[in-house]
Amino acid sequence: MPDVILRNLPFLLDCLRMTAELAVVSAAGGTVLGLAVATARHLRLPLLSPILRVYIELVRGTPLLVVLFICYFAIPALLGYRATAFGAACLGFILFIGAYIAEDIRAGLASVPQGIVDAGLASGLRPIQVLRLIVLPQGLRRVIPVLFSQYVRLFKFTSVASVIGVREMTGGAMLINAREFAPITILIAIAASYLVICSAISLGGRLLYQRLAVQS
Amino acid sequence: MNYHFDWEPIWAHRDLLLSGFVLTVAVSAAALVLAVVLGTLLGTLATAQSRLARIAAATVVETTRNVPLLIHMYFWYIGLAFLRLPPFLCAVLGLAIYSAAYVGEIVRGGIDAVARGQSQAALATGLTRAQSLRLVVYPQALRIIAPSLAGLFSQLIKDSSLASVITVAELSFAASAIESDTFRSFEVYITISAFYIVLVLAASNLVLLLPGAHRSDLTVRVADA
Repeated sequence: MPDVILRNLPFLLDCLRMTAELAVVSAAGGTVLGLAVATARHLRLPLLSPILRVYIELVRGTPLLVVLFICYFAIPALLGYRATAFGAACLGFILFIGAYIAEDIRAGLASVPQGIVDAGLASGLRPIQVLRLIVLPQGLRRVIPVLFSQYVRLFKFTSVASVIGVREMTGGAMLINAREFAPITILIAIAASYLVICSAISLGGRLLYQRLAVQS
Repeated sequence: MNYHFDWEPIWAHRDLLLSGFVLTVAVSAAALVLAVVLGTLLGTLATAQSRLARIAAATVVETTRNVPLLIHMYFWYIGLAFLRLPPFLCAVLGLAIYSAAYVGEIVRGGIDAVARGQSQAALATGLTRAQSLRLVVYPQALRIIAPSLAGLFSQLIKDSSLASVITVAELSFAASAIESDTFRSFEVYITISAFYIVLVLAASNLVLLLPGAHRSDLTVRVADA
């Protein structure tokens, strides 16, 4: 490994930990949000469902960077609180990726054949039981590959948090570069880190899907 | 909530927003053209008969799209700083190469989806391989991939906001400038958010004008990724 990377390895690992924290918190939060929104939209809950649709369309039409700016500057100004960069980044990523995950999960829920739903209802399950015992388990298993590609996107997107001052891997690398000035080496090193981790996430998704895929 | 809305400063800076908007369109359009050209090459390579070509294409696609866009931009802007490329060019190159990997995957899928008999028939009638691609396979593939391309175009427009990080004065850059000048954070970011949504809607519907593209429920919506 080049000298400049070795010398700064502890710092880089620290930044990588920040990236990982950001990604894990956002992935977990985004999945929960996406699942809740998708279920509400799937059930066509009156009032809530149209509002959630507006949320989804607004977020999917707005760049991540602008969502982060809104969470870091606009919402705190509006509600009168002080945001930390990390908190704002988490909020922004959760709101952002949640909208995409919600649409993916909703497509998964809609792909469960109507015949299976009818069979569940005919065997005496209540609609909520059909949702919990049949539609959610089957629908979610179908969307594992898409879900994991959203996680990969999210992991890459954490680099944008450096713009609002979160010291994650990309931001940290730029700090090191300001001191060492070895841009190519440093950029290649962190690009390789992202590459390895993103490939690992994809691989994890594929393995999970192989184990859990709906047999038909 | 005792926030007082004041849209006046936004209107006062409309020239800044407008030039930012123009630059966003310029960066996106330039990157789009380059991404489609490179992506078509990659996608065609990925369906080539030579195993080596397929492996090369797959490697390029995987390494390119698993690295964050911001790093692609930093690579041209900071990594190759000694070349002194203008920020606009760095943003276009970063955005185009990053998006080309996605275009490549879409094109590969489109070519695979065109029935094999089509290209075989084309070759049998005496067309060269290039002619068969250009006259038979590409036109049919284009119809199939139009909705995915629409999604990609809107993604690209949104991604162009990262050009602000390397000092290209596009919409997001203009917004930050206005914000730090007026402190009307909420108003300014909501305004540019609206700009982006309009652009994204326009882009995803423009793709429908492609010859033979069909209107499907996929494309009339705001952006898919």
